[in-house]
Amino acid sequence: MITRFITEVSTVFNPFSPKAKTARLFLSFLPPDARQTMKITTKLLPRSSKEPSFVQVKFKDGKEIKLDAEKLGIKGVAEEVNRHSRILSRADELAN
Amino acid sequence: MPPRIQPPSKAIASILRCRRPLRNQRQYATAAAITPAASHEQMTGGSPAISRFPATQPPSYKPPEFRKSQLLRQYASVLRSTPLMLIFQHNNLKSTEWIGIRRELSLALKKVDQARVAAGFPPENLADAIKLQTIQTGIFSSALRIVEYYKPEKQPQADPNGDGLTHVLSKAAHEAVSATKKVHPLAPLLSGPLVLLTFPTVSPQHLKAALSILAPSAPQFPPPTRRASPGWHDPGVQAGIQKLLLLGARVEGNVFDVEGTKWVGSIEGGLEGLRGQLVAMLQSIGAGVTNTLESAGKNLYFTVESRRTMLEDEAKGGSSEGSKKESKAE
Repeated sequence: MITRFITEVSTVFNPFSPKAKTARLFLSFLPPDARQTMKITTKLLPRSSKEPSFVQVKFKDGKEIKLDAEKLGIKGVAEEVNRHSRILSRADELAN
Repeated sequence: MPPRIQPPSKAIASILRCRRPLRNQRQYATAAAITPAASHEQMTGGSPAISRFPATQPPSYKPPEFRKSQLLRQYASVLRSTPLMLIFQHNNLKSTEWIGIRRELSLALKKVDQARVAAGFPPENLADAIKLQTIQTGIFSSALRIVEYYKPEKQPQADPNGDGLTHVLSKAAHEAVSATKKVHPLAPLLSGPLVLLTFPTVSPQHLKAALSILAPSAPQFPPPTRRASPGWHDPGVQAGIQKLLLLGARVEGNVFDVEGTKWVGSIEGGLEGLRGQLVAMLQSIGAGVTNTLESAGKNLYFTVESRRTMLEDEAKGGSSEGSKKESKAE
């Protein structure tokens, strides 16, 4: 997963729901120094809550996408993030 | 030169030729003991099987030389011996951050131990036994199912076809657990990179100290001040703590979420405080019960007493009237 162009990540999930796996894995995919380059907020829901889990990502160009973590799965989420990151990296390469 | 091997002499040759065994009956100084007849159990059931393995190395269904078999044993033993464990997710921590976090945690826990000794409790040295341990989630969930759902001591008799072994790696344990469709409430937590914080006893004070180091939240579990523990405020340790995420806890076999964990950690005065509260509550209940029980008797006593005084008054009144009548008659 290309994480260079992400500036903000916010996730909400209930760890006791099996569907929260995607959001948790997304957090573990971020590099070790992610906290220095991006702002990461995580909200844990209580055990009984039924609210859906989601991953919200903001990129350097200001684009914000909100991904439904329950439907997409970790592969789908990574694909969506990479789709926009590749555009940004191409623009970056052309500019330099 | 004569042959080296002499031909046997006649006497010896006759002995060798003789087919009858020489002295097949030995003589003993003591009289031969008479073997008692086999007992009824031996006649009907046969003697118990001789064990063909050392007691410390029973045969195992899963290959014992594999790392994952030994991890399964280790996790099962951790689960059985640990009444309180916290589950964290660790997101790509570096080894220096781990070192810093472990150092700060042990420092804070040692402070709690010292405070307890100063308060007059016997020294326990729990700080050395409270460990952070990363786990392999699949093996851990398997060990969790074995510990929770396989209870060989509760089953009336062992499977007659089995080998009678009931340890964690045995065939009986494997079959008992693989057949269950039950899902443990902790199971959804067990995915991704996880680390356990294990406590040898349920000690809310140590839990509070650990939470304020690893997952500080402002009012209940304040982060340590810069003066008390400057090491905690190092950028390395801070970066590591930001990447730790408290998911839940397992306390005495029950599963708690983050709020429940904080509630356990916020029990005032630790277990002693809880016991004090319980004793006070029971005492007040006892006083209430004695009051209630007494009140019925008291009520009855007062009723009967008032009735008696009433009757006595009436009797007195009647007797005085009677005496008046008598005086009139005279």
